[in-house]
Amino acid sequence: MKIRVLFFGATANAIGVRSMEKSLPVGSTSKTVFDRIKSEFPKLGSHKLLYSLNQNYATGDEIVRDGDELAIFTAVSGG
Amino acid sequence: MDFCELTTDPIDITSVARRVVPPECGATVTLDGYVRQFTKGRETLYLVYEAYEPMALKEMQKLVEQAKTEFEISNIGIVHRLGKLEIGETSVVISVAAPHRKAAFAACEWLIRELKRTVPIWKKEVYADGEEWIEGENASG
Repeated sequence: MKIRVLFFGATANAIGVRSMEKSLPVGSTSKTVFDRIKSEFPKLGSHKLLYSLNQNYATGDEIVRDGDELAIFTAVSGG
Repeated sequence: MDFCELTTDPIDITSVARRVVPPECGATVTLDGYVRQFTKGRETLYLVYEAYEPMALKEMQKLVEQAKTEFEISNIGIVHRLGKLEIGETSVVISVAAPHRKAAFAACEWLIRELKRTVPIWKKEVYADGEEWIEGENASG
């Protein structure tokens, strides 16, 4: 199955893309995907990160499904 | 009525404040957040704001719903600007209309604090000698 992974601000800057597709084994959790991307892109390691699944903050336990949207970003700084 | 919006256009503060007013209200508290020139002595040339737009709108809507259960208020309007902003330009407006002012002040303060903590919007500070994406306090993992 495939999901879309999005990056914003500092995370997009660190890895040089704003989105990518990822193929994953069925049954992967959001935390598994998050950890896998962190290890693929060591440049993310210097940031404190948050992640969301389908536009809600993830707990890490959610089972990711085909077509889902996961986003990885630094702590927010709007206002 | 309540509303949450993202825009790349300049924000008309007065119109945000007027749109939240229903007949039973006696006070509207409006926060006008704008671009600061000096932060801890360092000069900012301009800011760039970016949002994860659909999630930002959802999170703003959640704050509106929560504020309305916790405070004696009637309506809330939140508008956040995105893109490049010059010094002094308004980046965020939060208007809270209430029958009485006290609850409106409290809710407005709560809303901006929570917005800065949870709504996925980021700002890049551009200085004379470089730039950086500002990272908030609320991080884990």
